[in-house]
Amino acid sequence: MNVAITPTMIGQVIISGLLAGALYSMVALGLALIYGVMRVINIAHGTLLMLGAYTTFWWFRLLGINPYLSLLVALPLMFLLGMLLQRTLVTRVVDAPELSSLLLTFGISIALVNVAQLAFTSDVRSVEFLTGAFLVGPFALSKSRLVSFAFAVVITVLAFWFLQKTKLGKAIRATSQSSEVAMVCGINVQRIHLYAFGIASALAAAGGSLVAVIVAIQPEMGTVYTFKSFLVIVLGGAGNYPGALLGGMLLGLVEQLSSLFLTTQVSEAVAYVLLVLVLLLRPTGLLGGRAR
Amino acid sequence: MRWAILAALPIGLLLLALYPMVATGYGIQFMLQLFMWVALAQSWNLISGLTGYVSFGHVAFFGTGAYGAAILVSKHAWHWVPASLMGGVAAVVLALIIGYPCLRLKGPYFAIAMLGLNEVMRVLVSYFEGLTGGGSGLSLPTLHASRQVYYGMGLAALAITGVAHILITSRVGLRFMTIREDEIAAEAMGINTARYKLFAFLLSAFVPGVVGGLYARDQGYIEPISVFPLLTTVTMIVMALFGGKGTIWGPVLGAVTLFIFQELVWARFLYLHQVLFGAIIVVVVLLMPKGILGILQERYRLPRWV
Repeated sequence: MNVAITPTMIGQVIISGLLAGALYSMVALGLALIYGVMRVINIAHGTLLMLGAYTTFWWFRLLGINPYLSLLVALPLMFLLGMLLQRTLVTRVVDAPELSSLLLTFGISIALVNVAQLAFTSDVRSVEFLTGAFLVGPFALSKSRLVSFAFAVVITVLAFWFLQKTKLGKAIRATSQSSEVAMVCGINVQRIHLYAFGIASALAAAGGSLVAVIVAIQPEMGTVYTFKSFLVIVLGGAGNYPGALLGGMLLGLVEQLSSLFLTTQVSEAVAYVLLVLVLLLRPTGLLGGRAR
Repeated sequence: MRWAILAALPIGLLLLALYPMVATGYGIQFMLQLFMWVALAQSWNLISGLTGYVSFGHVAFFGTGAYGAAILVSKHAWHWVPASLMGGVAAVVLALIIGYPCLRLKGPYFAIAMLGLNEVMRVLVSYFEGLTGGGSGLSLPTLHASRQVYYGMGLAALAITGVAHILITSRVGLRFMTIREDEIAAEAMGINTARYKLFAFLLSAFVPGVVGGLYARDQGYIEPISVFPLLTTVTMIVMALFGGKGTIWGPVLGAVTLFIFQELVWARFLYLHQVLFGAIIVVVVLLMPKGILGILQERYRLPRWV
């Protein structure tokens, strides 16, 4: 561990942090949407990400086409699955105490993970695509990470454009500010919940498709992303959508920077210490959000 | 009715105490794990069922106790009984460190913080390899003590249920429940909510620590993923919820029912049983959030000592 840390290494770490952070931001935006609109903490978020990753894997394995094109399948598929989950199950715990939604979404998660295990086995899979790295000056940029980063940025920008400019997006933001007032304004809150869960699931699936070319794919892979997404929305402030972006980038940077000094395992713990500190010292998130 | 139950209780306990003399190895293991789940479900009930603060990482105390006791037994040659008690003390210390700041968090944020705590503990245990053996786990010296561990687990389950009884039928328990119903009102009534929440939290952390130590002794080998799984937290919650959270006998009833069901039905299927467990969670949450005793209490106005 006693390697001298050079400016190049720090630069490299910052680049890796930003590349990873954009993916975290995108995935966490989904979780933030669900929490913002319904006050539900969705433990199954990472599970939907896992299903997205498997979609990409099978697409690539069976069809042999560019895995990034599988986004065109994974997103609509998970959008529909998300709406189905919302319509049948999650809608029943929207106004219940948090224990109900935590347990319910955990139940969904464990059922889906084990269905995936039955269907796909627990073998570790990977998508071999765009291996290798670009060398830019002293920095090595992994090709697959770079392309996934670009896709994540585009999808996140689209999601924000949707939230800011379209009528449905505005209705979603209105509902997350106050569902009563939204209802009084003639917004069909039930439908907003449905769309929000669908969009959130699609964002998780996009995350899955994009990490499929980077990390190993297996049924349990989602848990880590669920936790990281919590962390991101706590950092950014719950119900604060731009905060999710900042939080994701910050998480990516903190993880990479701490892995420079500590082992990868502990860098995960650093992230959680950060979580607890932020919860205690600035409970409304770094950008401010709803009071707790 | 009350007298019938009071008479049945010592007879039942006597039968359970005599059980190891006639039981097979499997029978003892079965009962031992049953006691473990009763103790875990009941301890979760003390903090979350009574004060309403959802501990979504309660297994952190179990794991801490397991590692604390296992380190004392394997590295310092302690006897497993004091080692398990020290495991409980370690869990209480952890609860004190984490509870003091985190119990200020409201609603879902406390749940997330506890979830995070569990992850931190698992990572830390994996990291300090010199002490804990890291990811490759920690082995305890071989010792056939199932019978003794059976009594240990039984006592833990009995003790925590006794504590639940004392609390729920006393003013202290009422204060806990006032915090659950409306914390601001509780404060306005002069209840020192911070102190009572911490008290409930410490009480609920001790027994999982002890049980963790006993579990480590019984298994003879522990590793980070075996003593810090989120699934264990959820299982104890679902048991407490199924029987009726916030009641004395609900967690016992839930743990017994679900554990027997699990052993007899699900254990035959490797992955399918977890799919079924997921389905059971969903059903319990949606259809019977008050649990069996909660429903009965509403319908028949059962007394508090249930």
